[in-house]
Amino acid sequence: MGVENPAEEAQILLRTRLCNPNYIFTILSDSPDSNYSKLKYIMSSSVTEACNNSALLLGSRGCGKVAILEMVIKDLLQEYPDMICVIKLNGLLHSEDNCALKEIARQLCIENQLVFSKMASFDDNSQFVISMLRECGLAHKTIIFVLDEFDLFTQGKQRLLYSLLDAMQSVTSQAVVVGVSCRLDADQLLEKRVRSRFSHRKLLFLPPSQEDLQRILQHCLLLPTESSLPPQYVASYNKKLLNTLSDDKFKDIVESLCDSDSTFNHLLRFLFVAVCEMDTKSGFLSLDNFKTALSSIQRQPKLEALQDCSILELYILVCLRRLEVKEQETTNFNSVMKEYKSVHDSFQTADYYERNVCLRAFKHLLQRELISLVDNRGHSQSVEFRPVRLLISSHELHQGLKSYRSCPAILHKVLAV
Amino acid sequence: MGDEGNAQTPRRTTRASLSSTPNPSNSTGKLNLCNQQPLTIDDLAYGDESISFDDLISSLPGRRAQIIELLRILGPLDSPMFPVFVYGGASTGKTSSILQIFKHLKRPFVYCSCVTCYSPRILFESVLNQLLLHRRNESNRYLSVKRCEKPSDFVNLLQEALRNVVDSLKGNVVKSSSKKSMGRTRGEMVYLVFDNLELVREWDKGSNILSFMFKLYDILKMPEVGLIFLSNASPDTYYLDTGYVEPVPVYFPDYTEDELRQILMKNQENPKLYTSFLEVVLRPFCRVTRRVDELSTAFSPLYQIYYEPLDDLGIVPSGDVKRELFSHLQPHIGPSLNDTFRVENRLSSEASGKTNKWKGIAKKMGVSESSDEIDFHMSACAKYLLICAFLASKNPATLDASLFDSTGGFSNGKRKRKSSEKSKEKKETAEQDLLLKGPGTFPLERLLAIFQCIVSVSECLPDDEAQGDGGLEGESWTNGLLSHVLLELSSLCNANFISKGGSCPLEGANRYRSMVSEAMALKVARSLKFPLSKYLYRGG
Repeated sequence: MGVENPAEEAQILLRTRLCNPNYIFTILSDSPDSNYSKLKYIMSSSVTEACNNSALLLGSRGCGKVAILEMVIKDLLQEYPDMICVIKLNGLLHSEDNCALKEIARQLCIENQLVFSKMASFDDNSQFVISMLRECGLAHKTIIFVLDEFDLFTQGKQRLLYSLLDAMQSVTSQAVVVGVSCRLDADQLLEKRVRSRFSHRKLLFLPPSQEDLQRILQHCLLLPTESSLPPQYVASYNKKLLNTLSDDKFKDIVESLCDSDSTFNHLLRFLFVAVCEMDTKSGFLSLDNFKTALSSIQRQPKLEALQDCSILELYILVCLRRLEVKEQETTNFNSVMKEYKSVHDSFQTADYYERNVCLRAFKHLLQRELISLVDNRGHSQSVEFRPVRLLISSHELHQGLKSYRSCPAILHKVLAV
Repeated sequence: MGDEGNAQTPRRTTRASLSSTPNPSNSTGKLNLCNQQPLTIDDLAYGDESISFDDLISSLPGRRAQIIELLRILGPLDSPMFPVFVYGGASTGKTSSILQIFKHLKRPFVYCSCVTCYSPRILFESVLNQLLLHRRNESNRYLSVKRCEKPSDFVNLLQEALRNVVDSLKGNVVKSSSKKSMGRTRGEMVYLVFDNLELVREWDKGSNILSFMFKLYDILKMPEVGLIFLSNASPDTYYLDTGYVEPVPVYFPDYTEDELRQILMKNQENPKLYTSFLEVVLRPFCRVTRRVDELSTAFSPLYQIYYEPLDDLGIVPSGDVKRELFSHLQPHIGPSLNDTFRVENRLSSEASGKTNKWKGIAKKMGVSESSDEIDFHMSACAKYLLICAFLASKNPATLDASLFDSTGGFSNGKRKRKSSEKSKEKKETAEQDLLLKGPGTFPLERLLAIFQCIVSVSECLPDDEAQGDGGLEGESWTNGLLSHVLLELSSLCNANFISKGGSCPLEGANRYRSMVSEAMALKVARSLKFPLSKYLYRGG
């Protein structure tokens, strides 16, 4: 046994935690003016008072909107077991009307143990949904519609939104429509008649603040004392972790992480990679784990692609850059070849290759997306004549050349001119 | 495509090769061979004996760090993971690494590549077939188990299928722990591997499918599923409107020179000889390209030339021998550096005797030392059409009247002009334009008009080639055998000598463009003894 098994067990526990969105956001549900309590109030009041309601949850991706909504729904299902029916739609999948209606009918059938027929037509489905709404209203059962990626439902004619919100206007129905969107102006996308039926309740979800960060980190990474792990291990792990968390270097790491993207999901991915790097022999999370995680999350793909280029490809990039400097408007492979020849003549480089080999290198660069074709439509021309442009800046090119392992010195000279 | 675990070799086998019977002439009533047994859950993992960690590392030289990173992210048995995005250049070993890792771990997985699954429907159905352990064969008319076109249906079916798979995996674990024997699969998690994801960008509604796939993990909400994406393009080149939560990136850099040496040295019979060979060629070739596939195709013919003077291929070369071999090889290195694609010209002895028949099916592309003759066969009519197309693309249409007249003569008068400064500049800018714009387009009528003019000229000239080619053409070209000419034109289009461009909405007809280089057109003209240069518009 020894220390290996508890470490592995701890790793599995931490990974399960981090991949489970419900766990992370439970700490956000504590305070009374959090979004959790507001949302819960809206939904539970419409259940208990048998009225209709609608709300929009807005916030950038990875801020916990769906997670908090799921938590609220779970709590409501526990409190009012038979009075709620949940229908979930996603804008990526169900943005077309007949698709969405079929999905609503299917989920209603599953909830009420009815047999769903795949051959049902659009009219059948819509009649079924309307009659179900009426029945649920008469039985004092609330239907909660969750519309994920709400902004994708607003494309097109918005028939689904209109029919849902319209059905809510009648006295017999009891429904709550909750839309979730990453676009902060999602309600501006609604048509006039839809917007008038929509109650303008919007809840804004923000990325975590600095004070919350510390709480979240501890919540995610500290091992629980009442688990199957040996208590001394847990105690020493927690102590070491708290030390690391209060280290200044760690704070720098987290700050540079949040500079680029401060949402929850980004943070969670960072913690996940750090936990993966955890050394199972020692069983502790060290500062190095976090450093490695940071460098593997924050990548510079274009510079990496530059390191992968061969020397001929670097020559082509440098020639293209020179043409850009000379402010030539359209450049294509032929003009690059001309520049390549003139560079070879004036600098006497050792690398002068034939046209077809250069064409192959050119195509490699297109594949790596270091250069790209300007027009997407001109497929009748061969690739030698189609205009291209550089996708990296001159600064990146300079940096790439400097860090290239065996870059011929002449390239620097050629680029500098 | 897709490995269903029946593979006995480390390479992926196609479904066709798995289910094909060796004697197709047998009656169909007979049952197929034993590999047509129904699939079980164990077939989701590699079936044969697993490889150890050291074997894994040594089978993929140069990828040790990446394999360790991937193993860490996949984690211990039954630990959930975030989706992973593995990216790197072409032929850097992404697919092989993932497949070997799963062979080592013996965990069940489902593999599909967006090269073979080239539309959403095929992709979805392939995943479902593998999860539902369905094999498409003759008995079910090669149909998939469920028809699935839309992402919404796919999600529902996938959830159902995954739940079934996970339940049976849990059953397997219970069984194997009670029997104290190793089951063929380990663990309760299923992994979905999507290869060549960058091709999805070019699909119809590709960005919708991509957003859907990146969000699949959140939609499924099943911690027992792991998603792995492999791609040639880096994650920043996936431009999606709606944004997505990025998967964990793993980068596979291109191989360094040392790693290339290790890779190329694998499976060589005489390692010392090959090492000395690599010492000579690897560095210059690495300046041109660092891709393993291109290097290995360039090296194999060179290696044959290298050891040609040796009688005994098993010797360890000493310093003198090495020098001798190097000097033997050296004149071939330069031309080989400039070759991109070489197919052996399979000249059999009887074929070389004939002159006018097919000389070789292969054509050497981009050869540096150009021969004066074209080394494939074209009928005389096709050659004339090719020259006319080249002229039509190169010359502006307004010059046609002066260059070609019905008597077949061409006026030389206008061409003889003193080249002044201004005309030199014009010539340069015209050349510049030509570099940029490329060959022009022409309508069919113009091509046929030029063809008629030129053919009427050449009929006066002695033409051995035309006589040698079948008597069908003979002298009857100008007598209205237009359909034959049009057939030749369509075969030139199919061979990509002439490309069909877009049609102009005003004129309504298709426009064509010549795709041959000037060198090629000159070669063709020379074989017909046609004075091409006199008809070319050189500017000025």
